[in-house]
Amino acid sequence: MDKRRLGRMVTIKRCATVVSNYQESMEQQAGCGRNCLGGCCVLGAKLPVFKFVSRCSAKHQQVHVFHGDKTAETAELEDCEDCELMIHDQSNSFLDNLVLAQWEDRTSRGLFRYDVTACETKVLPGKFGFIAQLNEGRHSKKRPTEFRVDQVLQPFDPAKFNFTKVGQEELLFCFEESEDGRSRYFDAATVKGSPNVVVINVSPIEYGHVLLVPKVLDHLPQKLEPETFLLALNFAVEMDNPYFRLGYNSLGAFATINHLHFQAYYLAAPFAVERAPVSALFKEQGGVGIFELAEYPVRGLVFELGRSLEQLADLVVQVCKQLQDYNIPFNVLIADRGTRIFLFPQCYAAKQARGEVDQEYLDTQVNPAVWEISGHIVLKRKEDYEMASEDYAWKLLAEVSLPEAAFNNIKLLCLELGQGNADCHKIHKDTTLADEAGTLLGKQSISIAFHGLSNGSMKVESDYTADIEKSKEICMQS
Amino acid sequence: MEQLASPNGNSHVNTNAVMESLELPYNRTIQEALGRHEYNFVLCDPRLPDHPIVYASEGFLKMTGYKAQEVLGRNCRFLQGPETDRRTVLEIRDAIREERSCQVRILNYTKQRKPFWNLFHLAPVYSRETGTVVHYVGVQTPLSKSSAEEAGDGNVVSDSLSESGKKVTADNDKNGCLDAHAHQDGDIVANGLDALNSRPRNGGLHLEEEFEVEEKDERRAITAVRSVLSELTKSSKSKGGIAEQRCMSLAESASVGVVCSSLMLSLTRIQQSFVLADPNLPDMPIVHASDMFLHLTGYLREEVVGRNCRFLQGPGTDSKSVQKIRESIKESKPCNVRILNYRKDKQPFWNFLHVAPVRGADGKVAYYVGVQLDVTLADTTECEEGMSAHMKQLGAVGAIRVAVRGLQGDGLRRTKKES
Repeated sequence: MDKRRLGRMVTIKRCATVVSNYQESMEQQAGCGRNCLGGCCVLGAKLPVFKFVSRCSAKHQQVHVFHGDKTAETAELEDCEDCELMIHDQSNSFLDNLVLAQWEDRTSRGLFRYDVTACETKVLPGKFGFIAQLNEGRHSKKRPTEFRVDQVLQPFDPAKFNFTKVGQEELLFCFEESEDGRSRYFDAATVKGSPNVVVINVSPIEYGHVLLVPKVLDHLPQKLEPETFLLALNFAVEMDNPYFRLGYNSLGAFATINHLHFQAYYLAAPFAVERAPVSALFKEQGGVGIFELAEYPVRGLVFELGRSLEQLADLVVQVCKQLQDYNIPFNVLIADRGTRIFLFPQCYAAKQARGEVDQEYLDTQVNPAVWEISGHIVLKRKEDYEMASEDYAWKLLAEVSLPEAAFNNIKLLCLELGQGNADCHKIHKDTTLADEAGTLLGKQSISIAFHGLSNGSMKVESDYTADIEKSKEICMQS
Repeated sequence: MEQLASPNGNSHVNTNAVMESLELPYNRTIQEALGRHEYNFVLCDPRLPDHPIVYASEGFLKMTGYKAQEVLGRNCRFLQGPETDRRTVLEIRDAIREERSCQVRILNYTKQRKPFWNLFHLAPVYSRETGTVVHYVGVQTPLSKSSAEEAGDGNVVSDSLSESGKKVTADNDKNGCLDAHAHQDGDIVANGLDALNSRPRNGGLHLEEEFEVEEKDERRAITAVRSVLSELTKSSKSKGGIAEQRCMSLAESASVGVVCSSLMLSLTRIQQSFVLADPNLPDMPIVHASDMFLHLTGYLREEVVGRNCRFLQGPGTDSKSVQKIRESIKESKPCNVRILNYRKDKQPFWNFLHVAPVRGADGKVAYYVGVQLDVTLADTTECEEGMSAHMKQLGAVGAIRVAVRGLQGDGLRRTKKES
């Protein structure tokens, strides 16, 4: 009985990372009076607010106004319509300074579980430049808990930890779109509606590790939508620092909290994936450039900014939605100030659940989420750190990669979306992708694959039940 | 002081600094001497904010369509545009991080925003005494489909090539040549370019025209780099002179208190008064002082680098605040003190000083940062918008932490392969 139920719900056991100091004390209730980020405390509260100008609405015309700050800059190069696209190193964006200042302030208040700058880190010798970090403090002392990995989309569960339970001292600021076309910062502004919040991760991977939680009070589940993804892109653009990247993990691809959030931190070195050679799949003048990683352990797609941020967000989310519908877990890296997006569909957790991952990799307890896949590998044990090599990183990440056939279908899908041939992809996806999925995940896991695929194509309640029946059947046979 | 135009408003390098960058290490005749070379090249100074151009040859100006005053004091990135491959930019960035030379094919743009393919060769010039990178030499060789016809004149970007504006692929084998040339070039870290051999480049967006890096382009670039380097070496007047090859490893220079050029690039962006002191050296000397610090205290950089911070103290300085700083350093902890300090002209000022240990990639304390805030005339009026002065101080500390942890100079391709 028990076994059968487990078979229906594919899970892996892992320790959740403690991202907030409030994660382990869940007993407080609404109206708690402890200054949390829930509606009870946030509405009407005076909090730091940064107002950004969306780069899609007011291209090139934004004027920065910061009281008591000299910044009043407009594009100085008159005849340069490409100003926004010009490639540069770090710069002094106000938001960048704000994140640094606020994070440093929280450090001095002792809110983090450890000093991440005391963690040793190195470049693994080789031509890719994978970066390894020894982080013994991140490892949670909590008992490993079970995580469902066969459902990329799961409904929000208010009983579980979510970011409304975080204390306000862990909030750095709210990140709101400006109404008057000017970007501004207020030390204390009254919060209205459901704010986008930037909170610290108390178990940081690197300096400045924060979480961007769009519309915190809306209780959005971990699922990509164009508006929220665009918000993340705008955050990256406004930070204007190539060494501050944002990442997204779907459920089943090592997200542990089912409350919509993006992660971000500073690492003033290129990631291996940013250096990886790419081959072009599709590019139209002014359109989003679509590439494929040509020499990298994890198969992945790269999207480069074309005409507008909106266009980029739309395409990436369209592809991600397909993955969500097909129940294929994935990770997204937002790099180069919001101009390059890396998308990695993955199957590690499913493999792990099926016992197909080499014990050697499981022992290191590395969860290959977006940072690891991008080339920043956080190791919990000293011996692993000392032994780590490019070869090790390559093999570990190769375990994550989707098989070629399945990836090729996603590639096709992506091309069709890129070309705007919305009609033909529909037929295509239902046949090929579903066919491939069976082979892709192996017979044993057909339940996982099927589950998602049939679920995705229709998303109707009755289908879902039929689907469960199907899964059950398969499980009983195996 | 005249402020030079800046492309994105974040660098304000004054003309004096640009002049000094050339005059300090080289003879007075350096401009003249460099002017005799017809190549397209620039010299950039990684120790000035935003790594600006401090010299641009006539050929470079002609090729790009800019006037000298439009490029001096600006970072080279104005040459890049929407179709410039970001990975190529990363390759250059990697080379600068490792303080080594590199040769890449990059899509650049003229002032009129016409794109052209450029065989860009970057080479550092080192100080013999400290191993510091004094300048980076950047040689531009425009590539064209018919470069055979234009062999005599590489200065003009042909219109035919500009029109396409599309990316083209480089031939892998041709790129392989870069490696060989880098070796010839005497680049001790040339093996770094091995990585270029085996991979497709530039993504291969639809090919309308094929621009190949021809051997003679490479030869021309190498010759140009050599001539400029040898001119610089000849014209060198600084102690110990300058060298085309580094006389000590990055790690060695760091151990004598030299801040490597890529870390310097990050530090010069921070618009705050601060110093970095190295606790691993005897008496914890200052290894870097920001422009704002020099402005605040009235000292010249060479008067403070190498000295312990205590020269800021004077007769009215409270020994208790000094003690507080000492204790926090002993415990490797940050601290804030309000301390009476003195400018070079003996003028006292109240300094709201923030001192904090800054750890390197190895997790050990690499520096102590001291961020100064002159609060002599400070009023405590609350401002509703913007960040408080203290928050800005903390922001500077954060930026320094990120930079110092940035695996600066930590070789990727440079690292020895297990051979």
